[in-house]
Amino acid sequence: MTTILLVEDDKNQRLLYEQELRHEGYEVVTASNGKEALEEVQEKLPDIVIMDINMPKMDGIEAMGRILGKNKEIPVIINTAYSNYKDSFMSWAADAYIVKTSDLSELKEKIKEVLAKKNKNS
Amino acid sequence: MPLNNTQAHDKILTIILAGGQGERLYPLTKDRAKPAVPFGGIYRIIDFTLSNCLNSGLRKIVVLTQYKSFSLDKHLRLGWNIFNNELNEYIEQIPPQQRISDQWYQGTADAVYQNIYTLEKEQPEMVLILSGDHIYKMDYRNMARFHLENKADLTIACMEVPVNEGKRYGVIKTDEENRIVGFHEKPSEPIPSPNNPEVTLVSMGIYLFNTTTLVKAIIDDAKQDTNHDFGKNIIPEMIHSKRVYAYPFADGTNNNLNYWRDIGTLDAYWEANMDLVQESPEFNLYDKDWPIRTHQEQNPPAKTTFKKTLPEERTDMILNSIVSGGCIISGAKVEGCILSPDVRVDTNSEIYDSIIMESVRIGENVKIRKAIIDKSVNIPDYMSIGYSREKDSKHFTVTDSGITVVRKEMHLV
Repeated sequence: MTTILLVEDDKNQRLLYEQELRHEGYEVVTASNGKEALEEVQEKLPDIVIMDINMPKMDGIEAMGRILGKNKEIPVIINTAYSNYKDSFMSWAADAYIVKTSDLSELKEKIKEVLAKKNKNS
Repeated sequence: MPLNNTQAHDKILTIILAGGQGERLYPLTKDRAKPAVPFGGIYRIIDFTLSNCLNSGLRKIVVLTQYKSFSLDKHLRLGWNIFNNELNEYIEQIPPQQRISDQWYQGTADAVYQNIYTLEKEQPEMVLILSGDHIYKMDYRNMARFHLENKADLTIACMEVPVNEGKRYGVIKTDEENRIVGFHEKPSEPIPSPNNPEVTLVSMGIYLFNTTTLVKAIIDDAKQDTNHDFGKNIIPEMIHSKRVYAYPFADGTNNNLNYWRDIGTLDAYWEANMDLVQESPEFNLYDKDWPIRTHQEQNPPAKTTFKKTLPEERTDMILNSIVSGGCIISGAKVEGCILSPDVRVDTNSEIYDSIIMESVRIGENVKIRKAIIDKSVNIPDYMSIGYSREKDSKHFTVTDSGITVVRKEMHLV
């Protein structure tokens, strides 16, 4: 089964995303900040990471950079409420950049797309 | 016309790569990074690249260091702390931040990638990437103008070298408009230039990137298993999808000259130093139009003294040499040499074709030929260096071409 690591500091959003993605048939592991995400990546070796940016302890961009340094095969989708992080050069390392809306269809689409690309390359 | 100083300064961030181990320059790099190796009496190798920046109006410079950077840091602090921060001029020495990765720099492209936050903070239009270990004079503004005129994504400075030397460099193939259509890093059989079968066009490791192109390329590269090297990975990949141009190198002050040396080996180091003591050297340190800056301590003027020793009288003879401040030569012969500050050469000694670094003491009746004597070595009376490969090899490094290197502070009895 495909495992998604969902990194999100807001508890309600985390629950919502978790449910929705489970419903899509994914195994979902969660983390509430970048630091936790790094630990989960090492432990669970997820197939893909959904990463919020604005989080306590370690933000999503830094966490993504570190994941890329150690597990560059794991794709990362940035999922943030803000579009202005696109100006951050390091955000360009994401496999997709999604601005949060109440409709999760774009995120679900991108997950499929990125996973398909990953499987094609491997 | 080249870009004027304000334009060049506003648009371009310069990154100098100074993090290599410099193993092939060992033992000169035993205690210091390659860019900090003394050169030409009073300079350090990095002074030539930094002087190019200064003479080209580029005053936003970051120097990426890594190994043994103490003496380089000190030199930059003492000699190059000249920029005005309030005018947004700076020279910053940056050791690995381990902000993205907890590893040392894996290659030239990785070094820039790991400093991506520096690029982000500055947001320059273009990024000039240079090596800290080349000797040349170049006005980078002319290259920037060429880059803009060609609407290039990346421009690489290049020059022609004899075909068999092409093996050491990235060999470039261009079309009629100087656009690069082929790039091979260190090929076993370099392709000769179409106009002249004796020479081949090579990269000088001087890259001018549009910032967005650079950032995308180094991120893509970071996500792959490569050597993370500009010459091996980034450029061969980029020539297919981007506008990559070859800028024909021209000397900063004399367009008819093509003087550029990569100080990669001890032999290359010795030869480039010897170039300076030719009667009319291609690389002229005395050119007021292209000042080369450095840091040096206060030293009294150089001095020669007449020694009266029986049975014969010895006068000094100094020919084709560079003699720095604080040196005293007493009744000795010095020919084709470079003497750094505070060197002593005593009576009856004869030194030929050698590089003698700071605070070396050479006793009486010493003979030295084709040698590099690093700092603070005392050469005892009657010693000879450079006359017997067998004998020298027991204590010193001797290169294939026969240059003897005595390491810093080596104790000789």
